[in-house]
Amino acid sequence: MADSAPTQPKPSSSVKLVLLGEAAVGKSSLVMRFVNNDFQENKEPTIGAAFLTQKCNLPTRTIKFEIWDTAGQERFASLAPMYYRNAQAALVVYDITKPSSLTKAQHWVAELQRQASPGIVIALVGNKADLASAGGADSSDDADAAPAAEGETNEEEEGTDARRVATRTAKSYADEESLLFFETSAKTGQNVAEVFTAIANAIPETSLKGPRGVGGSTNLNRQEDARVNLAGTGMSMPDKGCAC
Amino acid sequence: MFNLTNLVQKAQQFIEPALPIAGPAANDRRPSKATLFRYQFRLPDSQSPLQEITAELTLSPHHSQRAAAGDVTSPEKERGQGNHYVGKLHLSEQFLCFSTTGSSFLTTASLSSSSSFTGQTHGAGPAGNGFTLPLCAIRRVERLHSQSYMFALAITTWNGSPDPKGKNATPSGQKLTIQLAGSRQQCERFCDGLKRGLREGVKEVENLRTVVTFTYSEYLLTSDGDEKKGAGEEAKKGTEHPDTGLGLIYRYPGNARKLRDATKIRLWREYLKENGRSATLIRQPTFHKLIRVGLPNRLRGEIWELTSGSWFLRLQNPKLYTETLEKYSGRESLAIDEIEKDLNRSLPEYPGFQSEEGIGRLRRVLTAYSWTNESVGYCQAMNIVVAALLIYMSEPQAFFLLSVLCDRLLPGYYSMTMYGTLLDQKVFESLVEKTMPILWDHLVKYDVQLSVVSLPWFLSLYINSMPLIFAFRVLDVFFLEGPKVLFQIGLAILRINGEELLDATDDGTFISVLKSYFARLDESAHPKSENPKLRAVTRFQELMVVAFKEFAGITQNTISEQRSKHKGAVLANIESFTKRTSIRNLGPESKKLSVNDLGFLYDRFYTVLYERAERAEILQQEADRKAKAAKAKATEVVTGFSGNSVERGRVALGPSPTQMDYDAFREFLAGISKWAITDSPSSPPELNGSQSPHSYFGSSTKNRPSLSPWGSGLEPTDHEFMRRLFRRWDVDMADSLSLQNVVTGFAAVKGTKDIMSNISYFFELYDDDSDGRVDREGILRISEALLFLSRRGVTESGLSPSPSLTDVRSGSPERPNRDEQFLSSVSAFIRRCFEYADPDHPSNQGNQAVDEAQDGLDNFAIGEDDLIDFGSEPDTPTARRHSKNPLSPKPSDKDPLSPVTTNDSTDPIEKERKEKAKAANLALDPNKPLHITLPTFRMVILADEVLEHFFEVGFSSSFKLADAPLLSAASSSNLTTFSNAGKQVAAAASNMGGVVGGAGAGVVPPGKGLRGMLDNIVSDGMRVAAEVRRRYDEVQKDLDSEARHGRDDEDEEEEEKGAPDLLEGAETAGVDTSRGKVEELLGVPGAEAGGEIKTTRNRSASDASRRVLEFER
Repeated sequence: MADSAPTQPKPSSSVKLVLLGEAAVGKSSLVMRFVNNDFQENKEPTIGAAFLTQKCNLPTRTIKFEIWDTAGQERFASLAPMYYRNAQAALVVYDITKPSSLTKAQHWVAELQRQASPGIVIALVGNKADLASAGGADSSDDADAAPAAEGETNEEEEGTDARRVATRTAKSYADEESLLFFETSAKTGQNVAEVFTAIANAIPETSLKGPRGVGGSTNLNRQEDARVNLAGTGMSMPDKGCAC
Repeated sequence: MFNLTNLVQKAQQFIEPALPIAGPAANDRRPSKATLFRYQFRLPDSQSPLQEITAELTLSPHHSQRAAAGDVTSPEKERGQGNHYVGKLHLSEQFLCFSTTGSSFLTTASLSSSSSFTGQTHGAGPAGNGFTLPLCAIRRVERLHSQSYMFALAITTWNGSPDPKGKNATPSGQKLTIQLAGSRQQCERFCDGLKRGLREGVKEVENLRTVVTFTYSEYLLTSDGDEKKGAGEEAKKGTEHPDTGLGLIYRYPGNARKLRDATKIRLWREYLKENGRSATLIRQPTFHKLIRVGLPNRLRGEIWELTSGSWFLRLQNPKLYTETLEKYSGRESLAIDEIEKDLNRSLPEYPGFQSEEGIGRLRRVLTAYSWTNESVGYCQAMNIVVAALLIYMSEPQAFFLLSVLCDRLLPGYYSMTMYGTLLDQKVFESLVEKTMPILWDHLVKYDVQLSVVSLPWFLSLYINSMPLIFAFRVLDVFFLEGPKVLFQIGLAILRINGEELLDATDDGTFISVLKSYFARLDESAHPKSENPKLRAVTRFQELMVVAFKEFAGITQNTISEQRSKHKGAVLANIESFTKRTSIRNLGPESKKLSVNDLGFLYDRFYTVLYERAERAEILQQEADRKAKAAKAKATEVVTGFSGNSVERGRVALGPSPTQMDYDAFREFLAGISKWAITDSPSSPPELNGSQSPHSYFGSSTKNRPSLSPWGSGLEPTDHEFMRRLFRRWDVDMADSLSLQNVVTGFAAVKGTKDIMSNISYFFELYDDDSDGRVDREGILRISEALLFLSRRGVTESGLSPSPSLTDVRSGSPERPNRDEQFLSSVSAFIRRCFEYADPDHPSNQGNQAVDEAQDGLDNFAIGEDDLIDFGSEPDTPTARRHSKNPLSPKPSDKDPLSPVTTNDSTDPIEKERKEKAKAANLALDPNKPLHITLPTFRMVILADEVLEHFFEVGFSSSFKLADAPLLSAASSSNLTTFSNAGKQVAAAASNMGGVVGGAGAGVVPPGKGLRGMLDNIVSDGMRVAAEVRRRYDEVQKDLDSEARHGRDDEDEEEEEKGAPDLLEGAETAGVDTSRGKVEELLGVPGAEAGGEIKTTRNRSASDASRRVLEFER
């Protein structure tokens, strides 16, 4: 990572981020929480895609997220390539109370890995963590840990909670595919800022050309960088630095 | 990529040679006249242009109180006062239409063939002046005497509800005069048509009454009359206020005073009074103007349905909505789940949709539509559109309008793949490029993707982009003038914001510029202007002006041209996306197959479906054409060419079939497996027969040999095995297969190289009740299937066996032998199955049953195994068996086998025959059911090298996937190609090879003769199996008549370890009796050769039995 002096005005760059996932898993709500720190019970369904921006302050730089929030209904899937084109980051969201949504998320990951710009930073996000009992909520901590940390798992899925997707299941999948992994709740705000911060950190500096990151050109090495960043600085970022 | 381009090409290859006449492809480029006609007048799909004639419409003087200046075309005095319009008068089955705008099609065009666009409407909608009268709304037609025209008709319409016993006994009938211009003949023909139509129209009057009674225009005019009379109390009670949407309860959006709603209503009342209402409305220039300034709230719904044409649909079937809801009440679907998710989030800012009432209406309309059009179901954005409609319309009105939207105005927008949406985005982009090149370059330069912004505009008709009141104004015009309005508005938005947009260098800014523009639509467009009039012009008004003046050149024709230009690319895109995703989503099972194989299966699967859909379409069209030709009276033709059904089946078009029925499955298999190709392709002459044997393809293919029901592909055969496979793969019991089913099925068959699982799989195929047992019937069926599968060779030559195996196979005559050998293996298989079969009821002296079965089998083998000639040592094994068995009390006496077998070589005498019959009965006795279990089956298979090999390699490799495209190769394959011999090789086989080779050489000339002979053998094998079945049935019948006391023979108990002996006995005994039957079956001339071969076969069989012994130990 760069060691630019913190005194100088921090360099700012744009990152195009796309949200994908099954209908009604809470993509728009995540964005709403991140951008406006707000939560609405009945949000209008996203038609096509919604666009929002939000800044995220890192110690060394400022990332301006250009967030493309896509429609989740299955038939809108064929529009998705239009939105994830040139995206540098993707949030693939599933609902921890709906196993089918994880399957769908896996499809999206596969799609992105094959079709999106190489080196795209993908985060797998299990939303609606508030619906799980306490046991599940803890697991967010180990999600933050380095990808290698496989041993510590605290799944108490048998409880009364609505959780249907074990943290371990999703986590091991995420590790396998080298994805960032979080469980969030757009309703309570749990982990939401962390997701975006982690993504901001994972975006390699090389791909941040200017205020508007033009994807596609320099991304061949990106993947490597992303991994390095992940392992190196990882979740050590203390700040909830996002301006939310 | 060998995906869709492939598919598309294939499809085109198929269509074009087969379709000298206008087919779907041609139709697609240039819509048929019927389509254009329907679009121009917004008529239902059942209508077609039957008659047309140039005419002049004269509106009787009282209509002309409001002088419509511009369009008075002929001010000749003698025709008196009134407005005159010259245009075309059209007659369809149920409508009389008149328009001053040039027709969008050539008069000379025939009904079905495509024609070029002419005129200005381009099928866009009822833009011109004129009317669209349902014939049932015409009360009377009189012929007038006129000097200037041959024919003049005075038409009186039902004005208002045509209720004979209504209170307004004589509704002021609206009168219009039409003068026909044309030759006498033309005019007479037209009048005749009209007469017929009117007669038919009487039936519709009831519908008309139902529909018209609840229109607001009716209410408006009735209440108006009442007021004037001042005695309306009674009448007023009768006329409830019609349902004009949620706005009635929750108020209409916007400030009614600001919208000058009252003024608009007044103007409309005047207009309606003069020009008819709902059914009988005449479009004069004022009509268009009134729509442009925005419709009054309460009338909005009605005018929308009139201009969009949904009114005509409702007229045809007024109860469809309630009936649909009733019919499907309580049922669930994916669409309903999706609808449920969105109900609370559709126009939530409108109070009506925070209430149960509003949400209930929305739910019902969306649900009803999802049932009537299941291929669309529910698409997000429909909730928003319908919610908007419901503010101004009743539920049924919204329901029909939604149909018109989805089917016609926004084709493909809400379909499964949303291809219409994507296509129109491309069209929009290209229009921007054309009309605003600088802006376009800017967008390209900064990589701003326009469709990201514009897609929601189109998909939800600007409803959630603009403030509602303005979106509704756009809709007012949209329903009248058609889809081009969406483009015009979109272009105008960009044009007006052009400068700001040129400053935007990223999507974010771009979007926010437009967002803030929409938010300020009600502000003055020229706030700083000196001129107060100019200052009063709102941004929205400016938008409308720019849209319809500056972009007046954007016509429906432009849109259509652009659409057809981009269609290919858009569809191909979607298809490759769909293919990619669907292959990826096939689940873990699919991983057993290679990506290539999956791609192949995908293409093959959809090609079959696509081609079948095409063929069905073509055949249907042909049938229609025939029907049309047959019936001289054009009035009886109801089905025309639907412009929307074009290219059904293409993946990207969404509502394509994704399920394969059994016939399609057969066709699918025929392209993959040789055994699935029929042995007796129905020749064209056969097809010409009025009663085609293939009744499942009911549509006649007479006189069109090129249009075989199987298209250009190979005709598939039909076999029970295929049906079983189909049923097995059809895990959802849907009576059809999805791609997922097919892939999972193939994964099970081809995915594993494990012989055991292959055997189990096969067994399960025949285990109907999946209780782990296959009964007698099943065994026979399995053997049939084995023969069926092997009749073209067991493995493909392409899949050459391992070198070591090839080495063993030295002589060329060997290869045919394998097939023959296979046959014998199957024979042995049946026998063994019966030997080892378990009785069904252990209580029923299980062992006895086994033995009886065994006994029967020996006889049974006469029919079944006649191929085997065995002259010697019939008794020894049996005897040995009995003597060996200590449990048998009187072995030799009690065994019915001995007499039978010993005597069988000679002509059996009466008594013996009886005995034999009994014995046979025992084996085949349905009262002594038997079954084999999987372990038994496995054992029997493994006992035979040939079968073992078949299950190891042959079966799965008989399905050819990506590695070797079969189509070309297979077309040459017929029964005489025996080159695809099984690659099973073993010592036994090679031994036999020698023997048979000799025999063959001795009897038939080498080469063709041998082949022919072998063909016979194979097909005989199949017949043998059939024969077995027949005998089985016969015996069963016999049994019914015969008493069962003859079966008291006690037999010794057989231990498991006794099986080998038993087997040997069976072998010999069965073999012994076979000769005579062989000759019967093979026919006399071949008998000699057959006999010789049988010998060898028998040897192979006993060979195999030896192996069984080994296996057992």
